[in-house]
Amino acid sequence: MNAPTRDLAVLARAEWPTAPDEALPTVAGFVTSNFSPLVAEVAERCLRAHYGETPARAGERVGVVLASVRGDVTTASTLAEAVRSGSRVPPLLFFQSNPNAVVGHVTARWGLGGPVVCTSPTGDALADGLAVAALLIEEGDATQVLVVAAELADEDTHDRAEAVLVGPPPEESLAGKEFR
Amino acid sequence: MVDRARVVLSGFAVRSAHGSGQDALLAGAFGGTPAFAPVTRFDTARRRTDTAATMPGAPRLADELVGAVVDACADASLGREHRAGTPLLLAAHADHDNTATALEVAARTGLPDPPRTYTAACVAATSAVADAAAMIAGGRVDRAVVAAGFLVDGDTFAVFDAGRALAADGHVRPFSAGRQGMLLGDAVAAVVLESADSARARRVSAKAALLGWGRTGDAYHVCKPRPDGEGLARAVHTALRRADVPAAEVGYVNANGTGTPQSDSAEAAALRQVFGADLDRIPVSSTKSVHGHALEASGLLELIVTVLALRTGRLPVNAGFLAADEDCRLNLVLDGDRRLRRDRALTVNAAFGGANTALLVGAP
Repeated sequence: MNAPTRDLAVLARAEWPTAPDEALPTVAGFVTSNFSPLVAEVAERCLRAHYGETPARAGERVGVVLASVRGDVTTASTLAEAVRSGSRVPPLLFFQSNPNAVVGHVTARWGLGGPVVCTSPTGDALADGLAVAALLIEEGDATQVLVVAAELADEDTHDRAEAVLVGPPPEESLAGKEFR
Repeated sequence: MVDRARVVLSGFAVRSAHGSGQDALLAGAFGGTPAFAPVTRFDTARRRTDTAATMPGAPRLADELVGAVVDACADASLGREHRAGTPLLLAAHADHDNTATALEVAARTGLPDPPRTYTAACVAATSAVADAAAMIAGGRVDRAVVAAGFLVDGDTFAVFDAGRALAADGHVRPFSAGRQGMLLGDAVAAVVLESADSARARRVSAKAALLGWGRTGDAYHVCKPRPDGEGLARAVHTALRRADVPAAEVGYVNANGTGTPQSDSAEAAALRQVFGADLDRIPVSSTKSVHGHALEASGLLELIVTVLALRTGRLPVNAGFLAADEDCRLNLVLDGDRRLRRDRALTVNAAFGGANTALLVGAP
């Protein structure tokens, strides 16, 4: 089930970082953790590569799948430490403690009104995200899907993310598949 | 869209602060008795409220998920011989331990390793249900098990308190004047979904049909819902069109109704967009008012509540109501005597990031 059930057209790709010393832009309202800025930046690069400028054309049925095996471990550990030590819990952690928040940032900026799906895959995050996207497209829930796979650094890796904007194969008609 | 399989719900299991099993849920949630009480699982001394709807003790998520999955499979008469080829889709809070939990649940229940855990906050479980239904309807699989769990913990309680999301008065009052916010609640639930042909071949009586599903995004804000409810309305329209059911045929709406001022008014606006004047006669309730908000598991708990309404004809109460709010003009179920008069019911959920889902269920 981790592989897409059929080919998808890849409309754009992006990744972060693209250089060893690249600095991650901050995102207003998100603090402490690189997770949300990482997702926002790679999504921005991918969408800009396809759409040019905001908003997305026909964005009402463009979905987003955010796949991350470990999720925002920095926000989770910051929250846990605040609770353990009895110190004040930063209110901004409230919304960024779930992955939907940064997806809301991306969809609001680009006018993407399709399904919002966030997952913790047990295997390869990008491959699983593409499998989820394929189902959304095949079943007529979305015409295009932005798939983002993002992982924060651990002992062996640095922060990294990849985004792919996919649509149906060019020869495939969406007629009769639209549930609007 | 030819040869689409009809999706049915052939078994379910539920655990919440009301107890374990459908009888406990019917007695507590349908009777309009809130299960909220002071939390003893962790220290709440530094928080604005001490209240949640929790099960006794400090249950472990993987153990509870295993119990719910085993119970749901038993309810669906799904033996070990069928489980090996039945995908498992889980929903839980985004956590670095999700993979370990998912693999443990699969190993202990005889189901294949899940591909993923759905983590999209308050629509996590319903997203998993929608994917399972899509796989079955499209003929990719004969059946799937969906399980979801949220157990109130000190970190989540603290961050919801910090975000001023919790009702300081200790009551959840969906769509009511004077509502102050949500309260958290435990829930662990599982459902077996399968094609009607598969259930028939196994000689299993379906509990309900999953007629339609829809999901959309608001494209509006990081955490606020779109005030006019347009995104949620599109999700409901999608579910109705997929089911080929007119809006007027819906006999009950289990609302998202968190008890939060902005969210409830946006949801009421969405329902008005979909149902128009018919909304004045369609009963609506948010059972978060009795079992609390189970976050990633809320949608599955509320799907089961909705199925129980269909099966029993009873309508669950929207507790905590004080007085009407002009921004939430709904036909709320305010006492336990109301009966469901049609055989289709809708459950809707909405989450941070503007994520919306709608599930339409009907008689099998």
